[in-house]
Formats: sequence, structure tokens, C-alpha cells
Amino acid sequence: MVRPAPAREKTVNGLVLPDDAAPYSEQVLRLPCDNTRNETTFDSAVTIYQVFGCGGNLFGDTLVDLDKDFTPRPAAAASWSVADDGVTWTFRLREGMMWSDGTPVTAHDYVATFRLEATPEHGWDFSWFYTALGDGGIANWTRVVAGELPPEELGVRAIDELTLEIVTEGFFPPFPGAMKFGYVLQKRALEQHGPFYNNDPATSVSSGPYILDEFDPGNRIILVANPDYTGYRPARLARIEGIYMSPATYFIAFQTGEIDLVSDGALTPTDFISIDRDPVLRDNYLRHYGDFRTDYILFDTFNPPFDDLDVRKAFAFSVDREAIVRGVYGEIKAMPAHSMLMPGFPAADTEGTLAGFQHFDCGLARQHLAAAGFPGGDGFPGLEMWLRGEAPALAAVYQATAASIAQCLKIDLQVSNKDGKVFMDALNARPTRLQLGAVSYGMDFLDPANLLGAWVSTGRHSWKNEAFDQAVVGASRLLGNPDRRLQMFRDAERILVDDVGGVFIAHRWQGDLFKPHVLGDSFRQPDSNGVYGRHWGNDWFWGDVYIGKRE
Amino acid sequence: MADYIIRRLISLVFVLLAVSAIVFAMMHAVPGGPFDTQQGHLPPAARENILRKYGLDKPVWQQYLNYMSHALRFDFGIPYQQPQTTVAALIAKTWSVTLQVGVMTIIVAFGLGITAGKFAAYHQNSWIDNLVTFTATLGVTVPNFVVAMWFILFFGVARQWLPVGGWGVSHCLFGSWFCTDWILPVAAYALAPMAVVARYTRSSIVDVIREDYVRTARAKGLAESLVMKRHVLRNAQIPMVTALGTEIPNLITGSIFIETTFRINGLGKFFVTSTLHRDYPMIMATFLLVALLWGVTYMLTDIAYTMIDPRVRLGARGEGHG
Amino acid sequence: MASSSTARFGDTGRALDVIPTEHRSFWQDARRRFLRNRLAVFGLAIVSCIALLAIFAEFLAPFPYDFARFDRVLLLPFENTDHPLGTDEVGRDYLSRLIFGARTSLMVSLVVQGIAVLIGVPVGALAGYLGGAFDFVVSRIIDVMTAFPSLLFAILIISILGGGLQTIIVALSITGWILIARLTRAQFLTLREQEYAVAARALGVPVRRIIFRHLLPNALTTILVAVSFGIPATIFAEAGLSFIGLGINDPMASWGKMVGVSNAYVRVYWHLALFPTLAIALTMLGFAFLGDGLRDALDPKQQSQ
Repeated sequence: MVRPAPAREKTVNGLVLPDDAAPYSEQVLRLPCDNTRNETTFDSAVTIYQVFGCGGNLFGDTLVDLDKDFTPRPAAAASWSVADDGVTWTFRLREGMMWSDGTPVTAHDYVATFRLEATPEHGWDFSWFYTALGDGGIANWTRVVAGELPPEELGVRAIDELTLEIVTEGFFPPFPGAMKFGYVLQKRALEQHGPFYNNDPATSVSSGPYILDEFDPGNRIILVANPDYTGYRPARLARIEGIYMSPATYFIAFQTGEIDLVSDGALTPTDFISIDRDPVLRDNYLRHYGDFRTDYILFDTFNPPFDDLDVRKAFAFSVDREAIVRGVYGEIKAMPAHSMLMPGFPAADTEGTLAGFQHFDCGLARQHLAAAGFPGGDGFPGLEMWLRGEAPALAAVYQATAASIAQCLKIDLQVSNKDGKVFMDALNARPTRLQLGAVSYGMDFLDPANLLGAWVSTGRHSWKNEAFDQAVVGASRLLGNPDRRLQMFRDAERILVDDVGGVFIAHRWQGDLFKPHVLGDSFRQPDSNGVYGRHWGNDWFWGDVYIGKRE
Repeated sequence: MADYIIRRLISLVFVLLAVSAIVFAMMHAVPGGPFDTQQGHLPPAARENILRKYGLDKPVWQQYLNYMSHALRFDFGIPYQQPQTTVAALIAKTWSVTLQVGVMTIIVAFGLGITAGKFAAYHQNSWIDNLVTFTATLGVTVPNFVVAMWFILFFGVARQWLPVGGWGVSHCLFGSWFCTDWILPVAAYALAPMAVVARYTRSSIVDVIREDYVRTARAKGLAESLVMKRHVLRNAQIPMVTALGTEIPNLITGSIFIETTFRINGLGKFFVTSTLHRDYPMIMATFLLVALLWGVTYMLTDIAYTMIDPRVRLGARGEGHG
Repeated sequence: MASSSTARFGDTGRALDVIPTEHRSFWQDARRRFLRNRLAVFGLAIVSCIALLAIFAEFLAPFPYDFARFDRVLLLPFENTDHPLGTDEVGRDYLSRLIFGARTSLMVSLVVQGIAVLIGVPVGALAGYLGGAFDFVVSRIIDVMTAFPSLLFAILIISILGGGLQTIIVALSITGWILIARLTRAQFLTLREQEYAVAARALGVPVRRIIFRHLLPNALTTILVAVSFGIPATIFAEAGLSFIGLGINDPMASWGKMVGVSNAYVRVYWHLALFPTLAIALTMLGFAFLGDGLRDALDPKQQSQ
């Protein structure tokens, strides 16, 4: 007798699960949550740096999502266009989106969220972003944040229930990509319960693919699929379980089968040895660009000794990047960097032409130091390089960098792994109190205006170069000639590297280790460069991931 | 005695006040505030406003008075780390777990430690004694986060005998009368205090064994065991009570390492994370709690001295030239 | 101190020992007793070795402690004959770092414990002996200092005074004396009521004499035990500070920091944890035996042994 094929199960949203999917009752993804971090909210619109590592940003859809090649694609916004004036953007919301309390999602919710983010009392920790975007920033953003104008004057308004109009400060073609940060909170819930309304299942309202089922801070977070979801990424999973634990034990919990996913940030060199030795683990560690993060050294170039270009060049030529990446960092986690933009990023130096300005040449480094007046390191002041609360594996990389510099130049260079807040306090002080530090920076959206914009003299780095500023600003504004635009950015990067605004050490490869039964095209299929993995900003991952049948 | 206790409790209030002032002042003197951000600086207007929202823009002494007036009504504010709850609720919830861990650890550490220490002292300078000293040294030398990791890797990963985390969630027998996930954390946490207890017990007993009056008693012909019990133990207990009294408040306030490594949602980690995150309400509350616990512990140990050695007079004047 | 020719109260069974064979001072007696105690000598030997390592580190260590080779990272012991104890996560010779680590760890722990004894013992002794208002005030100060926010304080003074060994020592000393003070006080509370103390008081012996000559030696054991525990405790307190950027900077080595860093690598690179742990254990044992031996040697009731 021929048995009929088992009926393919459906999700609560009526989706049919793939052929190789496990039964719907087994569609549970278990994630680790960090029990040492300071995390306070599910919503980035409340505080972007203190969002829960597991379950964050799943109670609403952003205006725009990114595909595997980081190209903006519709999410909550079904389409968008810009008017002839070049600054007025219209986003048309997807029809039929609903909140889990039965009310419709409207443009007013998005407007309320933008206004909340700009409200000075709210103190949004990402509010620097729209200011730093320059022309790409929302009109009046900086003045509203400064308290000079009320939030109603922000360049965001609802034309009708489904149409959102955003005005930028100037021409900025890549603006839709920045709407990756177009979060939504429910206007009514904000008014009734304040911005932390999602921290309690009783007051939580979701227009995203999941709703909050259980929230036990310090213990666990449980989300279940939102049966009323009508957006672009309906969940295939039935539940997400977040278990709080120490990052030092993530891999252990992975090995005992308690969690299904570990990211590279929690994997130590010994964990990578275990991964490398096991073919199954190796196949399931999916490496990707992440946010194109680069590790580098920064200086206070307004004061001695780093006001002298020769000293900075001496540092740039005394770091043995290849050996450090190979021996200390691990080639699975990083590649040597001679500049800010990682190959794969637009306008990045893929041919290595910028390596001429920053590579390992100890003889040349010593010459520069001698030219600066410190032959053989004599007379050079003892220095302290500050790190920002780094975990041991990364601290080792920066220590190796310092050792490389100290040994080549024969100077006294110590490394101090500071409490994060003390570090930022010193860095952000005006004038800065951070003489020498090592940090990393990753993109906020895929455009050189972002990563190179971080080096502009009004930014956080104590380095100023007029030509660089002009090149970056000019390129950011350029309309209609993408090739020329990228070339301008390349020229700007050349200035940055030649004038040694920073000494670039390595670009990071990020990655996730999955259990073999965790499936989904969003990470199991490559992008157009052949890179697999869950790419940064692919929020549609949460509607794509599912649990496969276990053998 | 009741008189003495009342006087001690009153002085405890003053101690709490002093501690609150010191902690408050130091908290605000340290660089970096609770709302300083990771990346760019908060724009000045936003910063001013958020400080105003949390009352942090007022002068420090005014903030202190404000805090204390609430604290006296048992309103300890809202933790910055978990704005949906109150400091009191958070402490109540997490401390109940830490207390469980702590009490179990105390029982194990003291039980095994005193036994080992006694054994070593009565066989003074034999191989038994040296073994106990050596093991005790090792127990105290290896920090508990290292021990915790070793235990997990061996008992939980290499040989999957025991769960690697949680408290009271997995593998509970007899309907949560005993959970196997208690074993590793308590073992890891008890190692160091056990060593301390054993060492102090041993040295105190050894000390007293040599006392003249013990020899006298022996010479008078008292049975050996009676000599031990009546004279030795009684006087050995004074320094023991001091040292061990110190361990108890330590153990019931928990350890950040044991709790984070074993996934125990307890109070221990807040003593460190509150400082690092500059969570002012939690910092104040945790230190006041610590001051209260220790003040009470000291009072109880002082009273214990009088019970052990009735000749001890607390609060008495010294005689002779001062 | 009484010479061996004086009969001791209660020493009824040892009449023959009363007859002196030669005139010996107390110190000679003490030294003789010490040297006959094998464990004590062993302890002294360990401590001396470690002290020598600390003092002559530059001559004894095969490599400088900060010399890193990136092609020799995380070598296990004897993987490379140049590095019998292997290398660390930055490619530095572990044996050399262990030797230089002796200097840092020993210096910090000895100074902090030294300060703890110098402050804690007199304060505790006087509080326990004098009682009354003095005890009250001292005990309240102890109460307050026990709840002292050490971590906050460490962050604060390091931001003011900068990093470095002296600041660490200050940060650790501010509360390091409390336990010893309490132990001493407790001992003195009971010791002052012993018959000979009461008798001495009645006879009008000065307080200082009573405390230092008569009572303190009896409190010695507990103090020595506390110091022997305090040494590894200080080493690890310093390591804990290092983790949050408040301790000694890299590349300076300290045993506690080396153990702490090893935690992330312990599954494969066991040597990172084992050797500094053994070093700390050995140091502590050495001080423990030495302390016990000193106490035994100096113990006035021991002279006939």
C-alpha cells in the first residue's frame, strides 16, 4: 500500500514549510543571550547599543531591509521614490500591516518613532547618526536634537495612513539604505506606557514576525510567531528561545546541544581549533563580511608626539600585520588591513595599491622615527595604548600590535585595557584625552560616505585634513556619476592612509556557527561574491530560518 | 546583652549613613556616566535632558539628600539596567537565588572544612596534616572562575555527567528537592572557603593544644578526649568564628564568576556590573545591603565571642595605664 | 625574654631540661628550633628561591618578558626547545614571563600584606585590649570600610593617579587591613582575660609591654595564617583589576593576570593555566610553612622541644 506523503505543515501565518523541514512543533531556535552586557530594551529606537542580543527588533519591521549584496529592498515600505528636488523622499508602506492588538500599522507610527528618536529628553544613543550623515540626515534633525526646534519640526511627516514623507538636508542618493534604521514603535503604546512598553508581555505590541511570550530578565526570553503578521518576512519558526549565559560558555552550550547558534565574537582561538578539527563544525561555520569592521590604531594628532607625520608613519610601517593575523588573530577571523575599507566594500582597495603607505617595513619605520628626531627610539616618550574593554582574544591582537611597534622602533609602549566608559569618556572629551588607542569600526550602511565619513574632522577622530574632508563631502554629494563618486572616495582613502589618520591593522571576518539542522537560504546560499553566511542587516533572515528534519 | 544589641543596632544606622555618603560621592566622582554612549557622544542637548530626566543634573549633595529621603521610605529607585522593574524587586528576585547557592555552599564548605581542619590538627605534623594543608593551599590558590571552567569542561563536556548551567531547572529529582545542576556551582564555589575554614580550624586547634592550661589539665589526669572537648575547642573557636564569620556574608552575596559561568540569575553579578555600567540606584542599594549584612555579622560574631569565652567583655573599659 | 635556665610555670614534667648546658639567648634558641623544623626550612627555601627569581629576573629569564614572536604563538611546553614552558597568546616565552611575574606578584602581595599587618595589627590589638570607646570607634570604622566600594575606588584613583604598580598597591591596601585587624582584635578580646594578662595588669606592667611581649606572640598564629591566605588573595585581586583595565599594563607580567587570561584558552593550552597556578600555590605554601615555622620557633611555650 502506498502511503500518502505526509501533509506539509503550515505555520501560524499559513505558510507551507519546506520539504526538508521538521514538524512545526519542532520549529524552535535556541539562542544565547549575554548575561554580562547592559541590555535594556527590545527596540533599537529606544537605545541601539543596549538592545537585547536575542529577540531584539522583532516586534516591528524597518522601512527598508538589505539583501545579501547590501542593496536596499522593500520591508515595511513597499516602494519609495524621490522628488525632483532631490531631497523629498516618499515611502509607501505595505498594505495590511497590523499590530498584534488588532490596530493597523500606519505612517503615524513611523513618524512618532522618528520624533521620539529626535526628542532630546529621550536621549537616543544613535542620534549622532543622522547628524553625521550630513546631507543624508533628516531635515532639522540636528536642531531638534539640540532642543532648538520641537520634534514636530522634524523633516518627517505622514501624508496619509500609508505614505511617509522624509526630507533630507541635501542630495543624498544612498538615503534609502539609511532607512534600514527606520524603526517603528506603536504611537498609542508609546503614549500609554512609554518607550519600554515591550519589556512586559502584558503591554507589548508587535507588528513584527514574533510576539513576546515570556520575559524573565537574566534567565530567558521566549518569542512565538505572530499569527497576525502580514508583513514581508513571516516566520517559519514557531518559537525563539533565548537563554542567558556567559559568552565564555556559548560554545560549550552549543556542544551540549542547548543552543543552535554561536557568533564569532564569542568563539575563542581554542574553539576555532575544535571547529577546524571537526568536518561538520567546519562546514557549518559560515563566514561573512559582517559590518566590514576594521581594527586600527588612532592618535591625538593635535599634540606631540603624534602631531609629527614621521612618527605616525613610523608606527604605520612597524606593524607586522601578516604575521599578527596569521599567528595571533587567526586567518579565519581576519585579514591584514592597509586601509579603512575592507575588500568587498564599495570603493575598497582591492588591488592593494594603498599597501605602499602602510605595510611592514621595519627599516623604513626606523628611518621615519629618526627623521622625527628619535633615532633608535632614543628620547621617545613612553606611551600607553588604550583599549576599550576588549575580550582576551582581541586584547591579544592589540598587544601583539603594540609589541610589533615597540620591538621594531625600540620604544616603550604599554597597553591598558580600560573600562569601556572610561575609554569613551577620554575619547569624546573635547579636547580629547586619548593620546593613543586601538579600536574597531564597522559600517552603519553600505557606502563609503559612512566608513570614510567617520574620519572627517568633525567626527570622533582627532585628525584633520582639509583635502580629505573636501573629497569625502564632495563625493557624498555627487549625483548621477557613480563611477566618479567611487573614484573620489578612493582618492579620499588614499589621503587618509598616506597622512596616517590611523594605523590600520586588520579587517575582520565575522561568522556564525550553526547547528546542521538550522536551515535557510538567507545564510545557506551565497551572495554574488560567493560569500555565505547571515549577512549584516539581513533582517529577513528571521522569516527565512527554519529547523530541518534531524537524521 | 539586650542593651548591647540595641546600642549596636543604633550604631549600625550611623554606619549605613556613612557608607551611603561615601559610595554616593565616589560614584559621582568616577569618570564615565550611565548614559554615555558607545560611539559618538550624545549631543549636548540630549545629554542635558536625559540627565535632567534622571535627576542627575542637580548638585551631588542635593541628589544625595533626595536619594536618602526616598531610601528611608524604602524606595530605592529604578535600576538603569532594567527599567521595567524596581531596585527592591530586582534584589528580592535575584537574591533569593543567590541565598540558595550561598547557604548550600556554606554547609558544604564549613562541614567539610571543619572536619578536615580538626583531623589535621589532631594529627599535627603527620602526613595527614601536610596533605590537608597542601590541598587547602590549592583550593585557595586557584580562583573560582578557573575552577568553574575546569569543572564544566570536565564534568559537563568531556564526560557529560552533569549539566553545565542553570539553577533548579534541569535534572531535578524528587520534584525539585534536589537538582543536579546544583552540584557543580556549589562545588566550585565551596572550594576556596573550604580551604580557608580548614586552615583556620587547624591552626586554631593546634594553637590551643599547646596552651599551658591544657598541659595542666592533662597533668591533673583529665581524660584526653575531655581535655580536647572542653578546653581546646572552646578556645580555638574565637579566631575561627572571626575568620569564618567573614566567609558567611561573602558567600550569601554571591560571586559574579560562579553566577555568570553557571547561568545562575543571582545578585552576585550586580555588585560588579552595576559599577561598570554606572547604574547608580543599584550601586547604592547593593552597597547598603553589604554594609547591613556585614554590620549584623560583626555584631553576631562579637556576641558569639562572649558566648564562647564568658570572660570576654565587650564594650568594657581597659584597665591599667592606657 | 627568659633564658632557658628559668623554670616555666606548669612545666612540672621537665625538670631535667631546666639545667642549662650553656648560656643561650632566646634568639639563638629560636633559630635552632626553626632550623630543626624541616617544613619550616623548606618554606624558607621556597620563599628565598622565589625572591631570588624576582630580584634577578633579568639574569635568570631566557628572554625578555615582552619579547614577542608571532610565529611562536601558543606553543605547548617543549614544542620548541627554546621554550620549555611554551609561549603565550602573543608569542612571548612563558618561562620568562613566569620569572618576571614573580617580581610583580611578590611585590604587590608583600607590600599590601605588609601594610595590612602594619595597620591592622596595632589597630586590632589596641581595640581588643583597650575596649571601650576606642574599640567602639575602631569597630565602626571597620564596619564602614568593609562596605567600601573598592572597585569604584580603584577606577577613581587610577583615573586620577594613572596606572602603575603604586596605584594598584594603594587600591588594594585601602581595604586589605580589615581582616587582620578583626582577627587581632578578636584574639586580644580573649587574651586580655587570661590569668597572666590579668596578673600583669594588676602588677602595673605597662600596656605596651603587655601587648607586645605577652599577648601578641599568642595571636601570632592567626595573623600568620591570615597573611599566608592574603598573599594569593592579593595576587588575584590584582588580576581582577587588570581585567577591567585597572591593573598593571601589558606587557608586564603578573601571575594572577596570567591565570585569568588562561581561562579563554584552557581547553587546549593547559600550560597557560597550570604554571602560574603552581607558582602561586608554591608561593603560598612556602609562606604558610615559613609562617608556621616562625610561629613555632618564636613560641615561648615551645622552648623545651
